[in-house]
Amino acid sequence: MSATLPSAEFAVALPATPSPLQQLQRTLSGDMLKLRRTAALRLSLFSGALPVLLTFCIFYFKGQYIIKGGIDPWPKFVSMAWQTAGTLLLPLFVVLLTSLIVNVETKSGAWKHLFALPVGRGAVFVSKLLVLLGLNMLALLLFAGLLLGAGFLLGLVKPGLGFQNHQAPLETVLWMFGHTYVATLGLLAVQYIVSLYWRSFVVPVGVGMGAVVATIALLNWEHVDKIPYSAPLGTTMQMKMTKLGGLEVAHTLFKHEWYSLAWFAGALLLGYVLLQLRRAD
Amino acid sequence: MTTPTLLLETQGLSFRFGKRPILHDINLQVPTGSIYGFLGPNGAGKSTTMRLLLGLLRPAAGSVQLFGYDLAKHRVALLSRVGALIENPSLYDHLTGYENLEATRRLRGIPATRTAEVLELVGLSPDSARRPAKEYSLGMRQRLGLALALLPNPALLMLDEPTNGLDPNGIIEMRELLRRLQSQGTTILLSSHLIAEIEKVATHVGVIQQGKLVFQGSLPELQRLQTGRAHLVLETESADTCRNLLPQLLGEATITGLSTLRLPYHSREQVATLAEALVAAGQPIYGLHSEQPSLEDTFLHLTETNAAI
Repeated sequence: MSATLPSAEFAVALPATPSPLQQLQRTLSGDMLKLRRTAALRLSLFSGALPVLLTFCIFYFKGQYIIKGGIDPWPKFVSMAWQTAGTLLLPLFVVLLTSLIVNVETKSGAWKHLFALPVGRGAVFVSKLLVLLGLNMLALLLFAGLLLGAGFLLGLVKPGLGFQNHQAPLETVLWMFGHTYVATLGLLAVQYIVSLYWRSFVVPVGVGMGAVVATIALLNWEHVDKIPYSAPLGTTMQMKMTKLGGLEVAHTLFKHEWYSLAWFAGALLLGYVLLQLRRAD
Repeated sequence: MTTPTLLLETQGLSFRFGKRPILHDINLQVPTGSIYGFLGPNGAGKSTTMRLLLGLLRPAAGSVQLFGYDLAKHRVALLSRVGALIENPSLYDHLTGYENLEATRRLRGIPATRTAEVLELVGLSPDSARRPAKEYSLGMRQRLGLALALLPNPALLMLDEPTNGLDPNGIIEMRELLRRLQSQGTTILLSSHLIAEIEKVATHVGVIQQGKLVFQGSLPELQRLQTGRAHLVLETESADTCRNLLPQLLGEATITGLSTLRLPYHSREQVATLAEALVAAGQPIYGLHSEQPSLEDTFLHLTETNAAI
């Protein structure tokens, strides 16, 4: 083969750099597509529905022992479901979700491909974080929505419990949704960094499960509210019955939720710096 | 800049893994419009070099110039004109072939029509593109990986062992595709541990051995290297007797068997003179032929002796 080559006519001008926002938008668009048929999406739907389903069954079959004498069944119903969700399910859900989302790339050996595309490391980091925050919100919204729906359904199929005769605690559920979301942010960020740094499925799941179990063992410790894995449970405990038999929760952030936010910011900042030191491929 | 201009150039590129040196002072020069065969045995540092060229790794020393711009400074911009397939194709098994392309297309911000074009280019039917990637054979995975690399209509295409897993037909198709892309102006950097593969398409060759570039030049230059290494092989009754009888002609010969001699080939006249002298000396000639070393031998010679050229 001849070694004479076309020369200058193929010279390449420096292509334009896409703006950071454009990079993020492209990465996010790709990340959303990669969610198709993944366990992460199914897990989010399942985790939103499971605590509601459990509580619904308890009330459907044994409701008459729990609600007696025409009192408002909603507070008991909502707090029971929230306890089921907040104690174990929610922290474990966040642990699994972050590991699954990051594992989409790891499993496919796609990090080297992803980082050889014209998007910066920052865009990749923020995009997956947004996907996580979105799915986490989806699961919680689904939980809150289904919870209210299940209460109305009980009013129809088990009128004896009296759901139809009382007002649903819509406002409290909305505030609790906000509180709980903030409470999951700290552990979400910690798990996200662990998943990205180790690029394995087993390590972040192991770390997360260990941390959840350790938190439960340490519940009586005076500093337990500083552990991000305890925050969802802490929020659940803040929901109080009023003297009038209603359900209420404060409209300001609790101390453990501030800690959760601090973990969120700290872990993301520190993690991002750490990840710059790691090889990209 | 020299003529022809260099599309890709590295200066003193070095890389260490911890304390272990992997690459040492690599000065690649990939001319614009070439098919550059990057040759070396497994573990010589080909993949590491390619990862450095994509900015996936940070070099311990040296720099990479792509299209005349510093990669470290303009990575994101430059990568929009580079397509790469490094080692195994990075495929999302839970997505279809089409969705795999779509994910990368969105990340690159390329028009949607390009997806069908690259499927056509690599010879994947729309039917197979609708199947999940986990059902793909090795050859189909490789084709899809190539399609991913071709998405941006790259000015520089980097392929790491692209014929892995392809059947003979696929290999021929791949070769034709590379030539076609080159004729359209794409510069191709192609790594392989098989010289035979490179020899058929490359215009330029770089040979890497133990992290050092031991040869770089055009394919004809590599071929010229081997002409100096042709040999004449003589089969006779007794090699020892022949050499004693004809010390002038067979002085530089080595005895490779009881009845075989091997000596450097110089010219056709040398062969005629030798045959005449052997007959005159009463020695039988059972065989007399020149042996041209294959490019493969040259390659082995380069990588074994580690001689810098």
